[in-house]
Amino acid sequence: MRFIARKPRDGINVSDTHPLAEAGLLVVGLSAIFLALVVAVIFFVELALYLVPADTEARLFRNWLPADLVTVAPDDERLYQAQLLLDRLAAHWADAPYDFTVEIDQSEVANAMAMPGGLIVLTSGLLDQVETENELAFVLGHELGHFRNRDHLRALGRVGALSILLATVAGKDSSRLSLTITDLTLRGFSRKQETRADEFGLAVVYAEYGHVGEAWRLFERWDEVDSGTLEVASYFSTHPQTADRIDDLGLLARREHWQLDGQVTPLPWLD
Amino acid sequence: MGQNFELLVNFGLPLILIVVAYFVGSLLEKRHYQSIRAREAEYFGFPVVTFDTMPEDWRVSSSNLVDGSVVVSLDYFKRIIAGLRAIVGGRIRTYEPLLDRARREAVLRMIESARRQGYDAVFNVRLDTSRLANARGNGEGTAGVEMLAYGTAVKFASLVR
Repeated sequence: MRFIARKPRDGINVSDTHPLAEAGLLVVGLSAIFLALVVAVIFFVELALYLVPADTEARLFRNWLPADLVTVAPDDERLYQAQLLLDRLAAHWADAPYDFTVEIDQSEVANAMAMPGGLIVLTSGLLDQVETENELAFVLGHELGHFRNRDHLRALGRVGALSILLATVAGKDSSRLSLTITDLTLRGFSRKQETRADEFGLAVVYAEYGHVGEAWRLFERWDEVDSGTLEVASYFSTHPQTADRIDDLGLLARREHWQLDGQVTPLPWLD
Repeated sequence: MGQNFELLVNFGLPLILIVVAYFVGSLLEKRHYQSIRAREAEYFGFPVVTFDTMPEDWRVSSSNLVDGSVVVSLDYFKRIIAGLRAIVGGRIRTYEPLLDRARREAVLRMIESARRQGYDAVFNVRLDTSRLANARGNGEGTAGVEMLAYGTAVKFASLVR
């Protein structure tokens, strides 16, 4: 038997496709699929919101609290006063389908969140930073605005549905990155919601005090110091950038001819 | 500012890693292929066959087991692209050159081992592959794969091939 040497053939087991072409195709294709998913999720969340009216939601989530909340004692003075203030503000929304309640989350990071069923969560970090009742009233009014537009369910539904989808598709390895991508994508969609919530909040503040002075002073202070500090970074991850927001609020007040200065009310628990 | 920093850490660092891994990985791959082709040309004519019995007309004076082994791992770029590919399925094209190189390098090392010991041919050549230990503490991932080529090297008594 004769051995005839042959040259090994190149390129049978290896694709000709350039790795960058492969990478480009995958990135573009998967981004397109992801965006289609986002649009689909937004559509179904809107559909669900339409099918579940606000009073049904209020009934379903009555007395519901998020599991990871670290609440303060029920007889906490700040909790009591914040609830009183919220009741006064909510009275300006005549046919509100919710019974609004406040909870204080013992967390260093300053944030405020609207939760299903009419629950507003303020962090103790936020209460440490507000200096007047007017500032707190605007924060509460802004969250009331989210209930008015039902953004709280929108945000919850979108983030929830998308992260479940992504976790299923991409596996748990990439869940953290998926969450960041989800967060970034939805942030673009929610910018308009924040502006509308601001408009409603400022109208409530004006109805309560007859002026909007000092309402957004908190954000001006945050803008003056570095808004990148850890304590307030969390608020900005869910709310618009301060400088734009302050400008928008000033424009809105001038457009509506709301008085910009007036009697400032001190925080009730500081007396 | 804080938000931008978070973005930078979440997206910037992996992106830099991917770009660096791509360029370093491509350069190494290119050089490896050059070396493989040069050595394949050098050993051209050295019989390496997969018959499990020796051809009858081979008259040999000695024989021995020879092997060549390579351990390869992925670069970060290939891993990310393969991860994306795993979502939709299909050929993982970025892995193909990696394993192709591993197979050819293993066979080349086996030939080098046989030649260094003075053998003239290798028959009953087999290729084996096995996954190495986990890359991450949680028991997931792959540190790399081993490609092993082995066979029976023989020295011809007289050159009646």
